Amino acid sequence: MKFYRIMAVSRRVFRGVVNDKRSLVLLFLAPILAMCVFGVAFSGDVENVNVIIINQDQGFTPPMGDTIYLADEIVNNLNTTTLSIHNMTSIDDARAEVESGQASAVIIFPEDFSENAILKSQDQSYPNSAEITIEGDDSIVNIKTAITTTVSTALSDTLTENGVTPAIQLNSDPIYGEDAEFIDFFVPGILAFVVYLLTTILTLITFVNERSSGTLERVLSSPVTEGELVMGYAITFGTFGVLQVALLLTIAILVFNIMVVGNVLLAFLAVAILAISCQALGILLSSLAKRAEQAIQFFPLVILPAFLLSGIFWPIQAIPEWIRPFSYLVPPTYAANACRAVMLKGWGLDKIWPDILALVIFALLFLGLAIWTLKRGKN
Amino acid sequence: MKTKEYAILTDYLTKNYGDFTAVNNLNLKVDKGEIYGLLGPNGAGKTTLIKMLCSISTPTSGGARILGKKIPDGDIASKIGYMPQETGVYFGLTVDQNMKFYSRIFNLQGEKAEKRIAELLKFVDLEDWRYEMVDNLSGGMKHRVSLACTLIHEPDLLFLDEPTVGVDPELRVSFWDYFEQLRDNGVTILITTHYMDEARRCDRIGFMQRGRLIAEDKPLKLLEESGKDSLEDAFLAFARNEDTMRMEAV
Repeated sequence: MKFYRIMAVSRRVFRGVVNDKRSLVLLFLAPILAMCVFGVAFSGDVENVNVIIINQDQGFTPPMGDTIYLADEIVNNLNTTTLSIHNMTSIDDARAEVESGQASAVIIFPEDFSENAILKSQDQSYPNSAEITIEGDDSIVNIKTAITTTVSTALSDTLTENGVTPAIQLNSDPIYGEDAEFIDFFVPGILAFVVYLLTTILTLITFVNERSSGTLERVLSSPVTEGELVMGYAITFGTFGVLQVALLLTIAILVFNIMVVGNVLLAFLAVAILAISCQALGILLSSLAKRAEQAIQFFPLVILPAFLLSGIFWPIQAIPEWIRPFSYLVPPTYAANACRAVMLKGWGLDKIWPDILALVIFALLFLGLAIWTLKRGKN
Repeated sequence: MKTKEYAILTDYLTKNYGDFTAVNNLNLKVDKGEIYGLLGPNGAGKTTLIKMLCSISTPTSGGARILGKKIPDGDIASKIGYMPQETGVYFGLTVDQNMKFYSRIFNLQGEKAEKRIAELLKFVDLEDWRYEMVDNLSGGMKHRVSLACTLIHEPDLLFLDEPTVGVDPELRVSFWDYFEQLRDNGVTILITTHYMDEARRCDRIGFMQRGRLIAEDKPLKLLEESGKDSLEDAFLAFARNEDTMRMEAV
């Protein structure tokens, strides 16, 4: 292996990408757009859900004191960013609103709500419990969860305000990721996904062209070996991977104010190794396509497994258990994992090394296979 | 006794693709400093033969020596120049960037490379297009870029696969003048062509059919031998003859 030949190839690939405005847009603008679109759309917060309150609560007047309206207090404690509250008196009208899709749920407080709540809390043997009924459109899971969570939060806030403390308290204290939002979880994932996707596809297309234009043959007839050629590609696309990540991170920090606790250089390292294995994967796939049009047919094969399995948009724990082993067969899984650990938890190389090692193994495997297919192509 | 060193010497060179035999037990000898033309219909095995001689295709059986060395050989790779039919230049790079890349892989850098590039661009008449994207050039121009890239490292042996397709007649003549000039400087050229006027300018030509060499000699000798007055007719005569012989053998 001669370094000057590797660098000659690397410069050539670099030039080819830089000369082509579309490739540049694909490499650098598309990821930013993707991050913004996904980041905003998937921000995970459900807002402005229309709910109808039917408050029939008559209140409760203790022997000495003023009448207490507990239902009003709970309604006042509802998070009005999540819920957009409308009051109605007729349950039937309210149900009609839900049925017609105007509202997502009806929240009903019965007449004896305060009375039952207070009497029951004073005497556990009191026969009736206070009930809040939520009747709603349960077909959209996120919205349903948002409504129930909001109501139960308001409920426990109201109880606390009234000096009623529940027998059991659930405390959730962050070890990592205090105040983390969905975007903080999402950005490390999208870094890995973008680099994986664009590197694989761009190498695939570039290399198919290299085959069909005769340049591959000319280069291989020269002293350039298959290994030097693949290494040249690896250097360029590894560099592009790091540049992509640097750009994305800068924007994510400036625009989305994302959390970066650890050393971003480690994230760069993970992504650079990922890019190297992806370009080798692109070369591998290119041996199965004669023309660019054929290469396009591989895109779903490249995109879907990573999209679904690598824990970019949802954690691997959310993937059915029987299919989870496949998650560990797609390289972006490890890069997303490593980036997340570095950025959200501030982990160092001493802790993320298994992910880095997995990425290195993938890179070596794919590089070896890419060189092997090139050599085999001579037969 | 020291055996004569040929530029190209093949030894029952064969290439099969599945059941199809592209090159069939071919024995070819090309002297140093000659222009050898390979003629034959599409699919006769000319390109496959060249690819094997450039070590980008591995023979199924048999072997070859290039410039006296058994191939594949790393040193030989830097002494040959291969111009593929598909042009083998990067359409997404400028003429200059293409030439710089091909000079770098032969470790030709700096002023030396600069001088060589200028010289070749002048020869292929593309000086005004040096910083143009190859994609924007006409077909003939692309072939000229390709030839310039092939010659960049001053190879001793050239494999030119239909180098003059789409090149205008005037430039074709100047290409051939240049090829002869190279030959006079000791460069060996193996060339494929469908232009008979070009074939006449070869020192020797070989007719290929179905992966075999069915006749080879100086162009005039071939005409004489076949009793025809054009190389096309001569080829057809040899091809028919070969077919008859095959039929008889069956």
